[in-house]
Amino acid sequence: MKEQLYVKNVTVQYKGHIGIKNATFSLKGGEIIGLIGADGSGKSSLLHAIAGVERFTGEIIYDDVSYHNPKEAQPLKSKMGLMPQGIGLVLYDTLTVKEHLDFFADIRNIPIDDTFKSYRTKLLHMAGLEDFIDREAGKLSGGMMQKLSLVCTLLHRPKLLILDEPTTGVDPLSRIELWEILDEIRKMEGSIILVSTAYMQEAQKMDHILLFDEGEIIASGSVSALLDSAKAYTYKQTPCEDGCITFDGRTYTRKNINADHVSPTLEGLFLINALQKGKTLTSMQISARQNRVNIPEIVMEAKQMSKYFESFIANEHIDMKLHRGEIVGLLGANGAGKTTFIKMLLGLYPIDEGELYLLGKRIQSGADRRELKSKIGYVSQHFSLYKDMTVGENLIYFATLHALSKQKAAQRIKSYAKALGFSEYLDAFPRDLPLGINQRFSITAALLHEPVILFLDEPTSGVDTIARAQFWEILRQLKQQWGIAILITTHYMSEAEYCDRVVLLKEGKKVADASVAQLHATHPKAKNFEEIFLEYYR
Amino acid sequence: MMRIFWTIVGKELLSFLRSWGLLIVVLYSFTVDVYIAGEGMQIKPRNVGVGYIDNTGGGISQKIISHLHPPEFLPPKRFLSQKELSEAIFNKKILVGIIFDSDFEKAYRKGEKTELNVLLDATAASQSFTTLGYLQNIVLEFSKVDFPVELKSHKLFNQNADNHTFMALSELLSVITMLSILLPAMVFVKEKEEGTWDIMLLMPVDARITILAKSFSQVLIVVAGTMMTVGFVLFGAFDIPMNGSFWAFFLLTFLYSFTSAGLGLFVAAVSKNILQVAQLSMIIMMPMIFLSGAWTPIYAMHPAFQALSMISPLRYYIEGCESIFFRGTDFFDLWHYFAGVLVLGSFLYWYGFRKIGKLF
Repeated sequence: MKEQLYVKNVTVQYKGHIGIKNATFSLKGGEIIGLIGADGSGKSSLLHAIAGVERFTGEIIYDDVSYHNPKEAQPLKSKMGLMPQGIGLVLYDTLTVKEHLDFFADIRNIPIDDTFKSYRTKLLHMAGLEDFIDREAGKLSGGMMQKLSLVCTLLHRPKLLILDEPTTGVDPLSRIELWEILDEIRKMEGSIILVSTAYMQEAQKMDHILLFDEGEIIASGSVSALLDSAKAYTYKQTPCEDGCITFDGRTYTRKNINADHVSPTLEGLFLINALQKGKTLTSMQISARQNRVNIPEIVMEAKQMSKYFESFIANEHIDMKLHRGEIVGLLGANGAGKTTFIKMLLGLYPIDEGELYLLGKRIQSGADRRELKSKIGYVSQHFSLYKDMTVGENLIYFATLHALSKQKAAQRIKSYAKALGFSEYLDAFPRDLPLGINQRFSITAALLHEPVILFLDEPTSGVDTIARAQFWEILRQLKQQWGIAILITTHYMSEAEYCDRVVLLKEGKKVADASVAQLHATHPKAKNFEEIFLEYYR
Repeated sequence: MMRIFWTIVGKELLSFLRSWGLLIVVLYSFTVDVYIAGEGMQIKPRNVGVGYIDNTGGGISQKIISHLHPPEFLPPKRFLSQKELSEAIFNKKILVGIIFDSDFEKAYRKGEKTELNVLLDATAASQSFTTLGYLQNIVLEFSKVDFPVELKSHKLFNQNADNHTFMALSELLSVITMLSILLPAMVFVKEKEEGTWDIMLLMPVDARITILAKSFSQVLIVVAGTMMTVGFVLFGAFDIPMNGSFWAFFLLTFLYSFTSAGLGLFVAAVSKNILQVAQLSMIIMMPMIFLSGAWTPIYAMHPAFQALSMISPLRYYIEGCESIFFRGTDFFDLWHYFAGVLVLGSFLYWYGFRKIGKLF
């Protein structure tokens, strides 16, 4: 089949910053192309330019029609389908599944004939939505919402399908189903499918991938070709001073070092690219804690904890221990009860049944809970701190609320800023800083009072590979230097492998609690952690 | 303890000063909005266009016309036929037309009864009818009525019978009500919207201190804004008299702000985002203002509403402020306004405090 989509020198520019710079590539029909990169690396900008909803410079040719701006792309819109980022964004909460299909068929002006009806039935079958025809969209789960959005985007049989992070925030099982639908459509309709994703492991399902970093495409090709190209720079984990990045049991460098080569991961490509630009990991050194406390073996213990919301059981009789110097990963699909459980541990929700112990003391009264809050650190999703205050002001504010004296606060902020490499950003506003820097100082805000437990709620979503590598380095040091317990939730199954122990929740119940090695031993067939996870969910 | 309280207050003030949009809205409400309300709501005629047809050949008619002068009236325009005059009124070129018939002066000189026809554009009702009142006064002076009674009026509390004073003050009190509901509600809901709510809850600080400090910071903003309006707009632009104690007004405003802040806390507890805050605040504020006597005097209301107005804290605040500004009531004689604001305020603040406290 000949090439159908040409993207030539496409640049999207926003006020003051560049979305994507000089993107050039071409694609054949029937191909699935993956756009992989962190938040803000330019994936969405490029997808929006191709979909004709964003102004750009350069040229895009699709189906022998060339366009340079959204207006010229207008006639092609009937051949395109765009699914924007965000779960259920194109859906209307109060319309049922059937009403959605009718509505999208009507606005696309599709004749309701037998061909359409049979196509529609087929789509519903593929999405597994047949039994939910009369359910309102607002009452569907996140995964089902995404499948319905996809079905609505597919109704007019687009030949160019543009999907912006369709799987972000969707549970692994639904993710696999979404990919099955895409594969089917590609075979059935011969469409070009452009998909952006934050999950590296999904790259395996794509014919061709484009890697994005800081508004540029840094590599493109098939997964195997790209991995081959990186092989020369990948070594077994080796101590190595500068010009090296060590992550995930591998050391990447452009120098020749005396070590065995191992097969790289896709993350490695980003690290090699960073090395090429002369970037290395900021060396970070967390110093010993000032308040020497004897942390007992069991830092926190939850016994038979349950939480009910009216008749709905959010958590049922969950037991969990957090040990000194241990990183525990709390995993589960959307709605499995992770958030509720963490909120009970944090003292934000009252505990309906069961007991919670911190440092051997049971948490009961309001005063107990305040005591609990003074001993834990919490990093929220998206690192939300106060936007109207500078980094420094934020940190001073948190230190004061934790009753640190002025001198102590100033001294600790200074030392963390130095250790985590954000001294030059103390007077900047959080919104002007990249996500990776925000991540570092949100951790600082959670550490200023030297807690005995650190809770992290999806601390790596949307963050680029370098920042993620550094983030795990901080956690490792905290564990060693401070001996605190760390509880982390994440969507990236690959990250589960960095945890000492994982706790798996399903429908409010604990279904697994073991080290990753133990889980691999009990599931010998699984190639990676994601497959173990899926075995619990099937 | 106090250090944490003031840190939270300081943080809220800082982020208020840094949110430009909000700052401008608040400044506007406290200055321009009150000024426009005081200056703009005019019932007296001003720049009224007058036309006339004079078939008498001058004399009395010109004397009457000469009484219509600026700033109330534009220089009267002479038309040649009634048709032209009617057209001018129809096209809104003039508001009032006066027709002097040819036998007007003749009959007047003879001492006979005579008529002056006045055409009024009744769509601008208040302006044209006040103009009519003016004309009647002018005509009355010409016809020396033999009735030996003279009206001697004494204007109390507002010697110039100046409308600015009352309108500006009412508007200020409404602005205070609006902002002291909106601002405290917004500080809490902003935390919900920006995802910092959990972080706020996770501080090892007594929830009561957090709530008190956050609402106190917004009360400070409202009180500061009020002082600015009183200084620049009420005293500066309108020269409103202050017959009572300034400090009584200050204290009453402070207490009243806490009352509405209580409502704000309630709004914050039940809203998920700023949009809901705006909608709910409107729904709560409107009946409060309607029932307060700011727009309709209480004695003119239906008895049922008169009874209901007893539970609007704004009623006590408005009456209290009027007493302080215009009547110059002694501090100790204001006790029932203070009592009204204090009793309703304590209840509302307690209620809002409990409602939002449940979320902590």
